[in-house]
Amino acid sequence: MTPIQTIAVGFDGSPDAQAAARCALELANQLGADLVFVHATGLLEHIDEPQAVLDLEETVWVLTSETGFDPGRARWHVDNGDPCSVLLRAGEPPISADLVVVGSRGQGNHVGLPLGSTSHELAEHTTIPIVIVPNGETGNR
Amino acid sequence: MLIVSGPVGGSEHHRAGHPEGPTRIRAVMAGIDDLHLGTDLQTVHGSPAERQQLTRVHSASYLDELTAFCEAGGGDIDPDTYATEDSWLAARSAAGAGLAAIDALRQHNDGVAFVAARPPGHHALRDRAMGFCLLNNIAVAAAALVSEGERVLIVDWDVHHGNGTQEIFWDDPNVLYVSTHQWPLFPGSGKAREIGGPHSRGHTVNVPLPPGATGDIVRRAIDEVAFPVIDSFAPTWVLVSAGFDAHRADPMADLALSSGDFADLARAVAGFAPRPGRLVMFLEGGYDLVALQASVTATLGALLGTSYEAEDTTSGGIGAEMVSQAKAERADALGRADLVLPPGGLL
Ligand SMILES: [Zn+2]
Repeated sequence: MTPIQTIAVGFDGSPDAQAAARCALELANQLGADLVFVHATGLLEHIDEPQAVLDLEETVWVLTSETGFDPGRARWHVDNGDPCSVLLRAGEPPISADLVVVGSRGQGNHVGLPLGSTSHELAEHTTIPIVIVPNGETGNR
Repeated sequence: MLIVSGPVGGSEHHRAGHPEGPTRIRAVMAGIDDLHLGTDLQTVHGSPAERQQLTRVHSASYLDELTAFCEAGGGDIDPDTYATEDSWLAARSAAGAGLAAIDALRQHNDGVAFVAARPPGHHALRDRAMGFCLLNNIAVAAAALVSEGERVLIVDWDVHHGNGTQEIFWDDPNVLYVSTHQWPLFPGSGKAREIGGPHSRGHTVNVPLPPGATGDIVRRAIDEVAFPVIDSFAPTWVLVSAGFDAHRADPMADLALSSGDFADLARAVAGFAPRPGRLVMFLEGGYDLVALQASVTATLGALLGTSYEAEDTTSGGIGAEMVSQAKAERADALGRADLVLPPGGLL
C-alpha cells in the first residue's frame, strides 16, 4: 500500500461530516499527512451560493484550529457534482488523495438502506481506501 | 401534429419547497395550451415502464434499491434528490411516457412528440439517482429503439451535462450523444475530451460553454462541432433532452438564452431527423416557471410551424473561443488511441 500522504474528507456541514472531519484531522496528525476538505456543490446550492459554501469553509477552519492541526497542511476544495461523484474523483488530481474519509450517512435518511447513503455508494465504487466514520448519535442504532 | 405524452408528475412526486416540483408540469401544459393547436394536438397516456424496459439502462440492484427506498417512505437520496412513497411509480410513469411517445409517432408516421413528464432523467446513472433524476427517461426510450435496430441521436441542450445518459451509452455505437452545457457547473462532467468508449469513439460530443453564453454560441456548438458527426452518423431517430434551464431567467445556472433561442435550436435539431415522425422531445430541467412556459411554447411552435410568441434570439455573449477549443480538444482526443476515459466522464 502506498504511504498515506494526502487524506480527503467529505464535508457538507452535517453532524456526520463533522465527526468525519474530526477523525480525518486526527488521522492526518498521526500520519503526518496533508488534509483536503472536499465539498460537493449540488444543483440546489447554485441558488444560494456562495454564502452557504463560505459558511461551511468557516466551520472547517474552526474544526482545524480546535484540533491544533497545522492549517498550512489543510486545504478546502469545492467541486461541482453530487457528493459521491465528487469524492470518487478525490483519488485523481487536483486532490490526489490516498485515503477518503466520510461520515456514515451524510444526507440520507434511512439507516440500513443503501440508497441515500454516500458512504455506501462510495464503498461500492471507490478505487482508493475509504474510512467510514460513525457519528455518535446515529452510529449505534 | 403534436403528440403530447403525459402529463406525468403533476402531483405524484413532490417535496414542499423543492424547485423540481409539480408546478413545472403545469407551466409546461400551459405552454402547450398557448399554441391553441385544436385537432393538431393529440395526447397519449402510456403505462409505467416495465422492469425489462428499465434494465436495458439501469442495474437490477439499483431498481431494487429504489423500489425498497420508496416503499419505506422515501427521503433524501442526496442533497439535491428526493424520493417519496409514490416516486417509484412516478418515475416509471415518466419513463413509460417516452415509450408511449415513440409508439404514437410510429402509428402516425408523422408529427413530433413532446414528453411532458417528470421527474427528469438525464443525470440518472446506471446504478445511481442524482441531480433530481431517478430513472433516465430518455435513455430508456433510446435503448428501446436500439433494441429494434434503430440508430439514435440524443441532443441534450439542458444547461447541465447529462452525465447519466453519457455514461449509459458511452460505449454503444448505435447512440450518438451530443450535449451543450454550462461549465464548470453541476455535475462536473462533460469536457470536450470525453468522446465515448472504445466501441463508440467519437459518438459522445460535449461542448462546454462559459456562463453568459448566448443562443448564437449554442448554435455554433451544434453547427460547427456536432453537425459533422451527426451527418456521418445518420440517425434514424432523434431524441432531445429538452431542458429549459439555459434560459437567462433560470435560477439554476447562468447561460443567457431566450425562448426564441430554443425555437431556433429546435428547428436546427429537427433537421437531423431522417423524416417526419422521428423526433421526440423530453422535458428535463427548467425552473423559472414563466421562462419554462414561454420556452415550451416557442420550441413546439417552431417545430410545428405554427404562429407563436417568443423573445428575440440572443447573440454577442462570450463563448466562441470555448467552442473552438472544444473542437480542438475533441480532435486531439480522437487522435489518441490510448486515451481511455471512464464513462461518467469522471476525469
Ligand atoms: Zn438542468
